[in-house]
Amino acid sequence: MRIIRNIFILVLTIAIVWPVTGQTIGDFKMDETELYAMTKQMGQFMRRFNYEEDQFGERLNPSDPRYHNAEMRRQSLPILFDQEKYGTQTELQRYFIEDVTKGDSTFMTFLGGRWYSEVSCTFKYNGKPVNVMLFLTVEKEGLGSKWVITNVYFSEFNKLFPTGEIAEKEKYFLHPMSHELDFMNIYKAFQNSDVIEYYGSKNYQPDYLTLFFYEIKQGHLVFQHVDTVKFHVLQIKDWYFEVSWFNRSGLNSGWLMSNVIYMPEKDKKNLIKFYEP
Amino acid sequence: MKKILATFAIVLCFVGTALAQDELSFERKQAIDSLALEKVRDLSKYIKIAGSKDTPFSEANRVIDRAEELFMSDAEIGVSSLSSNQITYYRVRKYFEHLMRLNYDRVEIEWYNIEYVSDLQRQPDGTYVGVITIFQTFRGYDAEGNLVYKDTTKKDITVYVKRKETQIGGRTIGFWDVLLGDMRVKETTNR
Repeated sequence: MRIIRNIFILVLTIAIVWPVTGQTIGDFKMDETELYAMTKQMGQFMRRFNYEEDQFGERLNPSDPRYHNAEMRRQSLPILFDQEKYGTQTELQRYFIEDVTKGDSTFMTFLGGRWYSEVSCTFKYNGKPVNVMLFLTVEKEGLGSKWVITNVYFSEFNKLFPTGEIAEKEKYFLHPMSHELDFMNIYKAFQNSDVIEYYGSKNYQPDYLTLFFYEIKQGHLVFQHVDTVKFHVLQIKDWYFEVSWFNRSGLNSGWLMSNVIYMPEKDKKNLIKFYEP
Repeated sequence: MKKILATFAIVLCFVGTALAQDELSFERKQAIDSLALEKVRDLSKYIKIAGSKDTPFSEANRVIDRAEELFMSDAEIGVSSLSSNQITYYRVRKYFEHLMRLNYDRVEIEWYNIEYVSDLQRQPDGTYVGVITIFQTFRGYDAEGNLVYKDTTKKDITVYVKRKETQIGGRTIGFWDVLLGDMRVKETTNR
C-alpha cells in the first residue's frame, strides 16, 4: 500500500514538474516527457539541485524569485534520487532534503571544489586488459579551469604495497647507530623487495599516481577506453553522495544520486585524501 | 554566403559594443546560448539531409562541407551503443560518410524538441566551453518498408565560444565566435 502511495506521489510530482509534450513524426508519436524528466548533464543535476532552472530546463535569472527557492527545491529534489534504490519518501531522503533546504542551505557549485569524477577505464597492462580507476577534480588555472587527475586505483599497484602486520614490519629496520658503520648493513634493506617500503618513514605513503605515470611512460600501461563515469560529491555540508548515470526508460533517469550518506565534515577528511592525496 | 553574413550581423547585434569582459551577464549568456543553438540546429539539419536516401550524392557532399565548417578542425565524434561502451571515433566528414553508407532502403532521422544548454565554463586560455544536449531518433527500413532498425541517441555537443574582434569602418567591434567541438553520441534505452 505504501509503495503504491509513494509511486502515486512520485508520478504526481513529475506531472507537476515536467510538461507532457510530444510530436508526431510519420507513423511515430515521439513523447518527450521522459527526456524532459531525464537529468541530461551533470551541470543540469547541479542546476536542479540548486533550483537554478525551471521545469522546462530554462535557466533562471538570479533575480527571479524562484531562483534557489527552498520550497521549489524541496519539490524537485526527490527526482534527483535513484528512485529504484531510495523510493520516493524514505527517511534518509526526507532528512537530506530537509537539511539542504533549511535556512543556511547549501548549494553545489562547479568551481566549489570537493567533488570528484571517478572514471573507470580499461587499459592494457603488459598486453592484458585491466581495469583502472582514475579520479579527477576541477582545478582553477589561467583564466579558467580544467579537469586534472588527482589519484588512481589499480589493483596491481596496491598488491605492491600490501598493508603489512605491525609485528612483521617491526622486524625490518636499520638500527639507530648504523651511521657509525657507514651503513654497512643497508644491503639488508634491498635483499627482499617485497618489504623494501618498511625501511621508509612511518609517514611514507606510496604515490600511486606517480607509479601510474611511470608505467604509462614505460609503455607498460596503454589506454583502451572509458567504461563508466560517476561523481563523488563532498561539497554539501555533512553529506556525501555519488551521482551515477542511469540509462533507463521512465521518469527517473540520467544523472541521479545513487549513494547518499550522512557524513559530518570531520569524517570527510580521509575520503578526500583518497580522491586527492 | 548570405547566411554567413546574416549570422555575423546577428552576432554583432547580440553583443553590441560590449568589450572583453571576464564574467558574462545572464542576458549575454542567453544571447550566446542562442548563437550556439543556431549552430546545433544547422548540424541537425545537415545530419538529416545527408542521412536521407533521397538526397543526391552531390547535395550530400555540399552539406557535409557546410557541416565541417561548423566544427573546430580537430573535432571528433565518439559513438557508442547500448551493447558496447566502447567508443568509435570519427572525424566529422567520416561520420557523415558513415551515415550516408548505412545499408537501408529508407531512413527516418528526427529530432526531439529538446535542447539542453549547459552553463559556460572558461578553460585556462579564457575560451568559454559549454555542452548542448539533443536527442535523435533513427529508423531504418528495408525494401519492403519493414522497420529493421531503430534507436534513440543522446548527442552531447561541445560548444566553444571565443571573444574576437574585427575592424568595421575603422572601428574595432567585439563579437563572440561560436564553433562546435567534440560530439559524444550515446544510445539511450529504446523509448
